[in-house]
This record gives sequence, structure tokens and C-alpha cells, in this order.
Amino acid sequence: MKKAVTVFLVTLLAMTMIVAKGQQESATDLSAPVTIVVWTHDDPNRSVLEKELIAEFTKQNPNVTVDYQTYPSGKMAELLTVAFSAGEGPDVFNQSQSVIRQFVVEGQVSALDPAWLGYRSLSDITSRYIEGSLEAVSLDGDIYGMPLEYTNLCCYLNKRLFREAGLDPEKDYPKTWEEMMDISSKLVKYDGEIIVSRGFDFRYATYYLMEMLPMVEQLGGKLVSDDGKTAVIGDEAWLKFFNYMKEWGPNGRNLGGPTYVSVSKVFDLNDGQVAMSESGLYQESRMRSANPSFYESDDWMVIPYPQWKDSDLRVPCHVSCHYYMVNGNVSMAKQIWGWRLVNFMLSHSEEYLKRVNLVQPTHELFESETFKNMPYSDVFKTDLEHATLTYYSANSSAILEKMKQAVEAVMLQNQDPESVLKNFRRQVQSILDEE
Amino acid sequence: MKKHNSFSIEGQKARWGWFFVAPAILFFCLFSLYPMLNALWNTFFNVKLLSLKKPEFVGLKNYAYVLSSPDFWSSVKATVIFTLSSFIPLTVFSLVFGLIITTRKKRHQLLQMLIYSPAVLSSVVAALIWLLLFDPRGIANSLVNFLMRTPGIDHKWLTEPAKLYMATAMIYFWKYIGYFTIIVATGVAKIPTSVLEAATIDGASVRQTIGRIIMPLLRPTTMMVSIVAMLNCMKSFSTQYLFTQRGAPNAPLNVLTLNIYKTAMRDRYISRACVMSFILFFFMMILTIVRMKTSESKE
Repeated sequence: MKKAVTVFLVTLLAMTMIVAKGQQESATDLSAPVTIVVWTHDDPNRSVLEKELIAEFTKQNPNVTVDYQTYPSGKMAELLTVAFSAGEGPDVFNQSQSVIRQFVVEGQVSALDPAWLGYRSLSDITSRYIEGSLEAVSLDGDIYGMPLEYTNLCCYLNKRLFREAGLDPEKDYPKTWEEMMDISSKLVKYDGEIIVSRGFDFRYATYYLMEMLPMVEQLGGKLVSDDGKTAVIGDEAWLKFFNYMKEWGPNGRNLGGPTYVSVSKVFDLNDGQVAMSESGLYQESRMRSANPSFYESDDWMVIPYPQWKDSDLRVPCHVSCHYYMVNGNVSMAKQIWGWRLVNFMLSHSEEYLKRVNLVQPTHELFESETFKNMPYSDVFKTDLEHATLTYYSANSSAILEKMKQAVEAVMLQNQDPESVLKNFRRQVQSILDEE
Repeated sequence: MKKHNSFSIEGQKARWGWFFVAPAILFFCLFSLYPMLNALWNTFFNVKLLSLKKPEFVGLKNYAYVLSSPDFWSSVKATVIFTLSSFIPLTVFSLVFGLIITTRKKRHQLLQMLIYSPAVLSSVVAALIWLLLFDPRGIANSLVNFLMRTPGIDHKWLTEPAKLYMATAMIYFWKYIGYFTIIVATGVAKIPTSVLEAATIDGASVRQTIGRIIMPLLRPTTMMVSIVAMLNCMKSFSTQYLFTQRGAPNAPLNVLTLNIYKTAMRDRYISRACVMSFILFFFMMILTIVRMKTSESKE
């Protein structure tokens, strides 16, 4: 009898909660006029597509208007931090995993209720995505964002420049970091000691955790221990990495550096400035716009992210994932319409891929003919199968800055890698201790 | 002390005086004094941007954290080096250029325009122009290599700490020298011509006129120029910010203002940023008082 009463009470409680949630939505007047403010980073090609999708969405929902605003990508994190701190954040916005985590942890964003999108359970939505792609927006069983783009970097290679240097691009392309340095030494051109043409160069800027940390992880090193409490594990791996970067920089073999123009900006020009550049699948779309004849030619190819020669751990470039999120401080109607708008836009993943080469991490997209027919999509996919999200935490921006400073110290200021490592560990540990 | 009768002429003047300065006082209180006091208040709490939690009172913990942080002291070092390497040349050369402009009979307006024109550019544009010049393939390397007959040498303007100090100070000097020169030139122009004429009649040489007459009379102007130049240098931000954005190493450029910006905007520790702002404010106030006192003692 006692058991039956307990079961009855639990069922009653569960039903009450479901009804309450339903009532919450029905209590919200979704037919009233509403304006959704969307902030997103500059991307001319994507903006055109999203404006078309928004027009379609507002046509289907005449009471909704959307104010779509774009901002420079480098300024977005700062703008959002200030706007949310002042209680003036946009209704919908997008950012990468390293930035959005703080919004999730601080409770600034809206948790998705599957009923708002007409689903029975959250798993109906999460099952659309490949494993691990929603990690950065998950907290206590809730989902706080939907992926807009899922990007890993592989290496774009200019075959013409390889041939001109007496190399066979199909056979001689670099498979290891050691080969990357040797081949770059053969491709680089100088005027005295000033580089006029680079073989390969890193992306630097905000890519340290994404493109350089895997180099350490391939050697068994870690940025943070598994329990998240200890910083910078595996001195041997870190020292090998710092020595490599020192050798790469102006005080070593002088193959490139962060003060030169970003290689991804000049690769498409095919004007001899750089032979290899790391970039995502999206670069193909940029190349098609910037230099159609180069895109159509057989003068370029994509190769996997290199591994160290003596490394057994397969760690490709980390993945950067941009998510669309909804402000959790706005009215319920805005939250519901915000999520519906995001869901509507992102349900056109093939359009995003075809027109802007943005990959959304859905099973459906990876299995689609559109994806399979993209040049070198198999190279990206093979690397993706072993890839994980770029390190994210509430303080990942600060940690990124410390790694940037450490690389600059060995590379540009010619500092001793051991003392740099010691200082780097102290700084990251101090950040972790405060979390 | 004699009190003004409110109906007297002085009383009426004082009332009109208050009436005219009231908007300025209101603006100052609203947009300067209140944010400053609010920032001071925040230094005693653990205010963090984005956090929805109520800030806790932490007393002087933020001050203790900042003052024991190696990062803060490296910023102090970067600020001191930049300030000394910028404000001394600015003060000296603004005086020299100011005297040249005011003593030249011909083409002084053209000279004035040439010296002043960089001041109309925004700091961001100025830094971007100079970043192109300091690029390894830019004019700075070409010019130095041409003059020193060292073709192909990369002088590492954007990577070596000493060169970075020199490069940022050079930009700041180029940008602001015109502004301070105009102030000095105005100061020289205010010196009564009768005094200078009397010196000429008495047979004073140019050097004597400058050293014995113009310079002592210019003391309030030079004091003002040196204080404003020093304070501006201590508040410099955009040049260092843009250099670090273009890949230059952070350590030599991490001046206090840049550190404050990063602590507040990137790390979201607004209270610690407020502490650093107050320490900077305190340094600036002390240095201004010291400069004023030394000037007064000379008089």
C-alpha cells in the first residue's frame, strides 16, 4: 500500500511539473508582436544566407521581426560581456566554445525546453549531433546552445610552389612536424634575413589552444589534468614544443612568426607568399570567392594535420565550435521565439555547407552527398573522427593569453624554454586555483 | 574674511559664476566623479562581469592580490619605461619646435602645419600606419638598411623588447609632438614683445634672450606641458593594444592600461581592474604634485 501511494505521489508530481511547464508556455502570449535582436560576427557570405532564412521565418511567423546585427569577430566577446553585464544583451547571439562557457556557467543563457520546438525530449534534439559536439553548452543535463559551425584545421597546400621548389606535392607533403620544418626550410625565400615567401606558418592570434596544444598532446603532455586541478602536465612534451617554436621563429631557422601577415589571408591569392596554411573547410568557399581560377585549378590540395615522428597518440587539430545561444534574461516569449529562430536557421545545415562551407556537426550532414562531394571533405572528416573540442572553461580566454605569451617568449624574445615553462605553469595554475 | 553681500555686485557675479559653471560641474559629477567613486567602492568587493551573484565584501583582498601579482609589476615596469621614453623627448622637443616656429619669420605656418598634422589622426590610425612601416618588409627596415648599408637585415621592430619600446615611443612622439608644440608656441607668443625688444636694445644675444628671458617666462607653460605629456603617456593604450593584436610580444607592451583592460574585459575581474586604475590614478597624482612642487621651488 505504502509503495502504491509513493508511486501515485511521484506520478502526480511528475504530471504537475509537465502541466506546469505546458502552462508556462501557454501563459506566454506567443501571438503578440515580438522583435528578436540577433548579434553575430561578420561573415558576408553567411549573412546573406541567414538574412534569407530570417525572411522565410518571419514570413511563416508574421508577429516576429528580427533585428539582425553583425560585428567584427574580434570584438564580439567584449561586446557581449559588456552588454550582458549591463543587462542589455541581445536575444540571440553566437560565439565559440571558449567564450560561451562563461555565459553558460554564470546562468546568462536560456536552457532549451524541447517542447518549445515541438519535441518530446531533449534527446530528440541532441541525437541529431555527433558525440561531444554539445559538451561546451551542456550543464546539469540541460542544453544552452546549438552548433552553428564545427571547424577543425587541416593544411592547405599550394602544389605549384612545391613543384617550383623541386618537391612532389603528392609524395613529399609533410606528415610529421619534423618534416614540416624541413620542407618549410626548402620552400621559404628570403631577402637577406627578411622572409618574402613562407613555406608554412601557424595561425597564431587566437589559435594557440586549437592549433598548437594538440602538438603537446601528441607527445603526452596536457594543459590541465583530467580532474581540472593541476596545470601543465608533461614537462618533456611541453619543452619539445617550446623548443620547436623557438627553432621556428626569427631567432632559430626563421621560418615565420606572428608579426607576419596571417597565412590564411594570403594563401588564396596564390601569389607565392605562402605554400601551406592551416584552415578549415570554410577556406574553400573563401578561395572560391577570392580567386576562382585558383579554386578551379589543380594547384592546391588539403593534407591532414601533422603528427610528431615518434608520437603514438593520434591527436589532430582541435575543433572550434560556434554556438547560437538565447539570452536567458529576456521575456519567455523572446526566449521561445529565439530558440525557434535558431532551430529554424540551423535546420538548413546543407545550405550552410553548400553556400558558406560551414559544417554543422549533425550525423545527417556528415552522411550527405553534399558533404561527401566537397573537395577534400574526407581529409577533414578523418581528422574530425579523432578530434575533440578546443579547451574551454570559464577562464579559457585567460589561459589562451598565457599560452600566447609563453610561445611569444620563446619564439620572439628568445627566452629559455625551461624558465618559460615554469612561468607558464605558475600562471595557468593560478587561474585554475581561482575557478 | 570679508563676506560678500548677496545683493552686492560681487555677490551677483558669484551667482552668475555658479550658474555658468553648474553644467560643467554636473557633467563632471555624473560622468567622472560618480564612476570614480563607484570604482573605488568596487575595489572592496569581488565584482565579476557577467556574474549574477551578489558581490561579496572582501576588504583589501583585491589590493593585496594586485600588489603581489608579478603581472602587475611587469606592467608597472612597462609603463615606467614607456612614459620616460615618451614624455621626456615630448617635453624637450615641443619646447625646441615651439621656439623655432615662433622665431622663424618665413614659412612658420607651413612648419606648424607639418608638425601638428599627425595630431589630427586617431591613435588607432596612427598605430596602424606605423605597423605597416615597422613590418619586416616595411619602410623602417628599408630606410635603416639603406642608411647603414646593411641590405636584408631585419631589425625586428615588432619583436625585440628594446625596439618595441623605441617603436611605441616613436609613434607616440610623432602623434603628440604637434599638440604640445602648439601649446609652447602659444606660451611664447604671450610673452610681451616689449620685454624682448628691451633685451635686444640692451644687447642680449639670442641665446641670452632664450635662456634668461623666454625660458623663465615660459615656466608655467613648460610645467603644464610636462605634466600633461606625462599623464597622457601613463594613460597610453591604443598603440600597445594594436601592436599586441598584430603579433608583437605582450610582455614589453603590457602597460597598466592594457593590463586593466584585459583584467576587466577578458578575465572579467572588474574589481581588480578598479584597483589597478586607482593605483595608476594615485601614481599620477603623486607625480603631478611632485612636478608642481619642484617647479614652485625653482620660482
